[in-house]
This record gives sequence, C-alpha cells and structure tokens, in this order.
Amino acid sequence: MIRIILASLVVAFSVSLAKAADDDKTVFPASGVETGRLTIYSTTDLVAMKPLIEDFQKSSPGITINYIEYLTNELNSLASEACRKGEPLGDLLLSSSVDQLVKLANDGCATAHRSPETARVAEWANWRDEVFGFTYEPAVFVYNNRLVPANEVPRTHVELADLLRERLDYYRGRVGTYDIRLSGIGYLLAFNDARQTTTVFGRLLESMARAAAVARCCTGEIIEEVAKGNLYIGYNMLGSYAYEAALRHPQLRIVVPRDYTLVLSRGALIPKAAKQAELGAQFLDFLLSERGQAIARSNAFYFTETGGLPPDVDGPQNMKESGIAQPIRIGPALLAVQDRAQRQQFIDDWSQSLIELNSPDWTRE
Amino acid sequence: MRREPSLFARLARRISVVLGIGAALLVTAAWYYAETAANKAYDRLLVGAALQMSESLAVEDGILTVRLPTSAFELLGLAERDRIFYRVINTHGETLTGYDDLESPVPLDRIEDVSNAEEGFYKGEPVRIASAKRVLADPAVSGEAFVIVAQTNEARSALTRELTLRATILVLVMSLLAFVGAMLAIRYALQPVEHLGTAVRRRDPHDLTPVTVDVPRELDPFVGSINHFMGRLNERVDLLQRFIADAAHQIRTPLTALSAQIDLLGGDKLDKAGRQHYERVQERAGELARLTNQLLSHAMVIHRADSVQLEPISLVDVARRAYRAAIPITVDPDIVISFEAPDERPFVLGDAVSLREAIVNVIDNALRHGAKHRLEVRVRANDAEAFVEVEDDGPGIPPEGWERATQRFATSKSHEGSSGLGFAIALEVAKAHGGTLSFRARDERGFTVILALPLLKGGTS
Amino acid sequence: MRILLVEDTRDVGEAICKRFEATGHAVDWETNGRDAAEIIDFTDYALVILDVMLPGMNGFEILKHIRKSGNAVPVLVLTARSEIDDRVGALDLGADDYLVKPFDFRELEARARVLMRRRTGGEATNLIKCGDIAVDRAARSVHVGKREVQLKRRELTLLEVLVARPGRVFSKDELLDQIFGFDEAANANAIELYIGRLRKKLEGAKARIVTVRGLGYQLVSDDAP
Repeated sequence: MIRIILASLVVAFSVSLAKAADDDKTVFPASGVETGRLTIYSTTDLVAMKPLIEDFQKSSPGITINYIEYLTNELNSLASEACRKGEPLGDLLLSSSVDQLVKLANDGCATAHRSPETARVAEWANWRDEVFGFTYEPAVFVYNNRLVPANEVPRTHVELADLLRERLDYYRGRVGTYDIRLSGIGYLLAFNDARQTTTVFGRLLESMARAAAVARCCTGEIIEEVAKGNLYIGYNMLGSYAYEAALRHPQLRIVVPRDYTLVLSRGALIPKAAKQAELGAQFLDFLLSERGQAIARSNAFYFTETGGLPPDVDGPQNMKESGIAQPIRIGPALLAVQDRAQRQQFIDDWSQSLIELNSPDWTRE
Repeated sequence: MRREPSLFARLARRISVVLGIGAALLVTAAWYYAETAANKAYDRLLVGAALQMSESLAVEDGILTVRLPTSAFELLGLAERDRIFYRVINTHGETLTGYDDLESPVPLDRIEDVSNAEEGFYKGEPVRIASAKRVLADPAVSGEAFVIVAQTNEARSALTRELTLRATILVLVMSLLAFVGAMLAIRYALQPVEHLGTAVRRRDPHDLTPVTVDVPRELDPFVGSINHFMGRLNERVDLLQRFIADAAHQIRTPLTALSAQIDLLGGDKLDKAGRQHYERVQERAGELARLTNQLLSHAMVIHRADSVQLEPISLVDVARRAYRAAIPITVDPDIVISFEAPDERPFVLGDAVSLREAIVNVIDNALRHGAKHRLEVRVRANDAEAFVEVEDDGPGIPPEGWERATQRFATSKSHEGSSGLGFAIALEVAKAHGGTLSFRARDERGFTVILALPLLKGGTS
Repeated sequence: MRILLVEDTRDVGEAICKRFEATGHAVDWETNGRDAAEIIDFTDYALVILDVMLPGMNGFEILKHIRKSGNAVPVLVLTARSEIDDRVGALDLGADDYLVKPFDFRELEARARVLMRRRTGGEATNLIKCGDIAVDRAARSVHVGKREVQLKRRELTLLEVLVARPGRVFSKDELLDQIFGFDEAANANAIELYIGRLRKKLEGAKARIVTVRGLGYQLVSDDAP
C-alpha cells in the first residue's frame, strides 16, 4: 500500500517536473528494446551534446535518454533544492559552472564514482570522485575581422585593455562579455580573472567600463552579435562555442590570449538521490572515455588539454606546453567562489564598475 | 590417554599470545599516535583557515563585510577529498555567510581569538571544527564576530590509516622476527631434552649404567631420578646374580661331597641287595645333581635374558663348545656321535652363555632319553635363520607331547625321576633371542629338536 | 704321575685323592689357595685340579698366577658357582678343561687322563687324510666330510694307524701292539670290537676299512684308482 502511494507520488512529481522543463526537454528514444531511462540535466547546448548522446546510444541501444537543458544558475538552485529535500533530480548533472557542482558535492549532494575511465581524468579536474571535468575549454577573445583591423587584434589581456583605451571611441559599446549577474560561467571566469592578476583585471575592467562594454547572459548571444557586427570583440568567450560559431561565420576570429588563458572544464556529477545512478555513471564513463573524448573534440568542444589548437585559432600552438593555460581547478577553492557574500560583493563591485556606469543605446532597444 | 602438548608447542603458544598481545598494544598505540599526529597536522590547516577568514572580516561603509580568501579554501583543499563547511557570524549573532546551521561545539561566548579544533558533527557527518573570534571596535560595528570552519575527516582518517598501517606492518614484521627468533631459541634451548630423550631411547634395555648425557641444570633431577632408578635396578640385578651364584655354590658343594662319599663307598664290597641300593643312591644323587644344575641353569638363563646385552656370535663356535661340554668322555662308546657345521659360519645376535646352555641341555636330553646308537648335532642356515639341530635315533616325543615337553618339570618320563627343565631352558633362550624351539617328528632317521635363531644380516663370514 | 689337587671341601678332596691314588697317581692335596700357589712354583706336576672357591686365594687367581709364571701345566677347574660367567672366565684365563660340581667321578678321571696324555703327546699339528676322512692328531678330532665324529681314545688311535698308511694291510697283532702297548693284556677280539665301532662311526665316508681275510685290515679310499 505504502509502496503504491510512494510510487504514485514519484510519478506525480516526475510529471510536474517534466511539465516545468517541457520546453527544453529532448528525448532520445532507445533504438532497441528499452532497458533503462537516463535523465541528464545539463547547461550544455543540445547541439554540442547530441553527437555524444547518439554515439553513446550506439553502444547502449537499450537506453532512452532524456536531455533537459537549463541555465547554470537555474540548474544549481533546482539541484540544491532537490538535494536538500532528498528528492531525485536526474541521473547526471552536466554544468559548465563547476563551482556550483563543487558546492553541491561539498553539501553532500553527489555520489562518488570510480572506474578505469575516471582514473584517466586529470587531477585538477576531479574532486572526491564526485565532480569530474570532462571538457577543456579555454576562455578566448572573439572578434569580427571585418571590423577589427588586423593590426589592432589584441593578443593579451593588457593589449585588450590598451586597445580599448586607445581606440575608445571606435570600440565604445562594441565589446561584449558575460553578464555575471546572469551567467554562472561569466562569474566564474571573472572571479578567476580577478585572482590571476588583480592589476591587469582592474585595468581591463576599467577600460571595458569606459568603453561601455555590453554584458549578456550567454556566450551564444554575444558571439552572434559579434558575427552580425553589432559588437566587434567578445571577451572571455568559451572556446567551444566561439569555434563552432567561427566555423559558421568566417568573419569571426578567435584569439587565445598569450599572457594567460583561463581554462574551464565542464563538470559532471551524479546526484545523490539519482534513481538510475548506474546509468549516469555509464554515461559519465562514456564522456571520459577515449571514444567520448574524441567525439567531443571533433564535434563539439574542439579544444583538448594535450593536443594542439584547432586550425585558424590565433594563439600559442600548445597551451599546456607554453604554460599559459590556467585550468580552473575543480576543488574546494571553488567554494570561496561560491560563497554567497563573496558572490554578492563581487557582483556588486563588478556591476558598479561596468554596468551602472554605462549602457549603450542599442542595448536598450 | 590424553596426550600433553609438547614443550615446544606450549612455549610457542604462550610466546605467540604474548607477542600477539604486545603487537595489539603497539598497534593500538600506533593508531592513537597516528590519529593525534594526523589531527595535529590537519588542525593547523583548519585553524589557519579560520584565522584567514576572520582576518577577511572588514567594515565597509559601516557594514561588516567578508571576502572569504580563496587561499583559506586552498589551504583546506590540501586535504584533497575533504568537504568544507564554514559560517561567519556577525556581531549580532546573525549568519553573515556560509552554512547557517553549522554550530561550534564551543559556545560562542567561550570562543577565544584562536581556538583549537574540536570534534563535532555536521549534517550527521563527523567533522573537526575550528572557530576564531574577531573583536571589532569600529564605531559603526562593534562587538565580536565569529568564524566557524569545519572539515570532514577523510584526509585525517586516510593519514591515520596510512601511518597506522605502516606502524602495523613494522610491528608485524618485528613480531614475526621475534617469533621466529623465539622459536629458534626454544628449539635450541630444548635440544638437551631431545638429546636426553634420544640417549635414553637408544640405550640398550640391558644397559643399567648411569645415563651420562650433559644436560642443563633444570634436567638434572630427571637424569638423577633415572640414574637413581637404574642404580637400584642394577643393585637388584647384581643381588640376584650374587644370590644365584651363592645358592649354586651352597647347594653344589655338599652335593659334590655327597657324591664323593658315595663314590668312596664303592659298590664292590656290598652284597647283591646292598649293591642294588648303592646303585640307586648313586643314580638318585646323579639326578639330584642334574636337577640342581638345570634349576640353576634355568635361573641363570632367565636372569641373563633380562640383563645381558646380545652381541654377534658365531653359532657354530657356540654349538661346538656346547657339543664338547655336553658329551662326556665316559659316554657309551657304541653311540655314534657327530657334529656337522657348514663352511660358512652363520652369525646370530645372542648371548653365548645362554645359547650354549640351551644347546647343552638339548644334547643332554637326547643322550639321556633318546640316542641308542646315533646322535647328530648339526648347524645350518638359510636366508633368514640359523638352526641347531639335534637328531637322535631314540623313540622321540610324539607330537601330542611336544607342548608339554617344553613346560617346566613336565616330561613323559617324570616317573623315572628326570626333570623336564632341559627343553624349558632351551625354549626360554630361544624366546629371548627371538627364535623358536621346535621338533621334527620321528622318521626313519630319528627324532630332531630344532633351535632356530634369526640370522644376523651380513654376519656370515 | 703327580697331581696337585686344590680343594677345600674335605669330603670331595678325599674322594678325588682316593680315585687317583687307586690308579697309581701321586696326589698332593692343598686346601688353601695361597699355599697351593706357592707349591706350584717349585713343584712340577702332570696335572692341577683346581677348585674355584678357596680360602686364601681363589682358583682363578691361582690360575692367573700359574699362567703368568709361564707354567704350561694342564689345569682342570672345578666350579660350584653358577655358570653366569665362570666357565667362560676359566677357559679364557687358560684352564684346559672344567667340570661343574657336582660331577661324575668317572668323568673327572677320564678328563684328567686326557689332559695328562695330551701333555705327554706331541704338540705338532698333524693332519692326515684318506678319502674324506680327516684326522687332526693335535686336536684329536676326526672329520668325515663336514661331520665331526666323536671317537673314543682307542678308536682314534686305531684310525690314526690305519690312516697313516692307506692301503696297507695291518695284522691284528700289529694293531694290538699299536693300540694297547705291551703291558696291557688284550686279545684279538678287542681289535674286532674296535674295528666294528670304527666302521659304524665312519659310515658314509668315502673310505672303508676292508677286512683282508686271514691277514688283517686295511683302509681303502673310494677315490683311489
């Protein structure tokens, strides 16, 4: 009796959840007889994940995959809430905002997973065998080569700051970056920029503020604007999206900064209350496997830790060897990033310096 | 009988127990120290992080703010796998940031500027909790603010485990070495006991001399007891031997005197009736002498069986001596008496005196009760046994009387006053030598008494 | 012949003396061991009859004393002790024979005679053979093949004579002289008796005593051509 009630409750809950996420839910039905149903909550665009999911289903044809997309902050609050209540939320969480995943893990919302595949993960991209980084995504500059003259292309953070100061009028309102109030990745990147070299970041922030930099929620949006010519330069764009866009828009060019390059690794976490944790683990292993990595590299994320840069990218040939890559370590230090007081203050400071000072006319349309 | 465990097993067991208890104590101590050490090491990090966090408290525009330093988390992150919980409490006792439900095990009013880390629980997990106090004296914000930092124990436990494991391996190796050493020492220490055992086991049962094995002081009482017992036994044996010797002398001397007097008396001067009486006295005296000899011989044979060590002897030599001793010069010249021996000389393990006594008695029996015209003594051997055969052409003993013939004083001719001790002596000796006394029924040649003895391997020459 | 008797039991000593004196021997009788040992040193005896249990000095010690001084006189030991180790001891110490008390006096006399005669006879080893009959004159033993045959004194003497010259015919008179000597009264019938006994005892031998009618006897080997 109790079991029936519980079961119906679970059903009711899943239904309500499904409703809430209906718009962004994609179902990849099992090609064979369905043996399991894996639910992935993700902040990664479907386009990037699709090849991986489909390849996964080739080797596991019995598994139907529900792929539900969220924005990072939404997913984070949803997951925290579910964890607090002890309710299940999918079988695998994928988020570019690894700090949030680390916080979730720290709060005991994750299930550890160990396998030969997880053993291959770089030490900086694995915390407690609970949070794994499965991509390698440098934060890059994107510019429109029709609008930024070749001699003005900035190749370091300082060059970018100087460029904005020197050519203030030309670039006013033409530089885009994340709105860190909306974007978890933006906040993470900005925070880590601030940690890298406080003076450079201060100068850059000041220059951007003076140049009336435009803040947007997402990488895609800014890149589209750059492609259209509304913006000339995009700052701290995720390499994978930028490269994908550059493939579509030849006028888009990518610069991997030569002074330092923040590298973000998308995180994966198996929630504690996952109903199909073993399926989540199976998919996670696939993501980390050589095959999964190869597909990710050729179809979605383009950059790797060890390999060279993809063609047509301006930057050092090998980021790892040149030593400029600064991977954002998946570890307890990210808790400081996640601290709510910290975040509030950082965002306040950032907003003060960047947003409130200016707002270009075209952004208010 | 319940078998007591060996000394070695007893010692080994007790030493194992002692070593085991010792090892357990050492491992427990090692675990305790490892835990203390691990806690100390990681508590420093924890306290350091709490201090760093409390340092980051600042008053900006009249508001208490905190910018948690990443370094504090990186410090804590040295315990790679541990989860970190923290809480910053402002002067009003409200949570500024962090985990609202994280409580210090120490009441807030008793937190010192820097406190030691304490055991505690957070969300049901065992954690170490450190707290720090910051006294603020800003005109806008004054009072005490607190930082509570907690960390799970995984790294500590891992370090404790590792240290304990290493110590345990060390302890086990040492225990093993100690055990092996102890076992060798015990084995060495117990060697004298084994030597003594071997010496006693290897002794000839007839050897009643004192045991002369060098033993440690502790074993002296045992060797003493054994030797004392041996000594007493030896005395008894000697006493018995003297008694037999004395008895022999005491009885034989008057007997000899008696027969001497009878001899002196002579039968020539007597009339026919007197002569008959004389001859019967002479005969009876002879029988008495013979019986005495047999009794003493029997006692001697039994005594020697218990006390004399057997040695390799040539059976031919012994039999020839017996043959010479048993055939009197005054024997009836009409009897053909012969001795036959093989060229190879069979050796047996035996007591020459007893064997000769046995053979003498068998020959004597044949002379007195058997042989009419012929008596043959033969020595022969096969692969396993050596034989002394005494064959005569007398009537022999029918098979049904064989068993009785070897019993003491039991002979078919007891009415004639002869004793049946001869075969009893021979049988006694045969048994003492691991041999047999048997008869071969009378055939056309005669009746044979056979003394069979086990051949001494490789003793033929 | 002169015999020393060492015996402390009067009844026994008396009887032994009577026996030997009756056959014409002179017997010195000592009852004390020490006295006896002294007497032996300066008197030549044909035989010593020695009791073991003696006052003063026991028989074994006397025996040792005799042999140590190089005296080869035949010694016959009488013992009343148990044979636990006496017999072996007596022979090992150089006694020529022994008798255990109580003994048959005729046996004592016979053995004494053998010992005295052995002394007068030659000591040389002398092995004579005919067929498979072997006569060892020194050991006074006779073997037929592997069989040692017990012969009486006169039988042995007769065999010795015949074996010495196989094939030769000995007349009865000749044999009588050889066996009994001239002083003993014996007739031809005695020879016939001994020849009969000898034939019986040599039965199965590869040599025979053949009667040559009217002439006497000869020993013929079966091996002879």
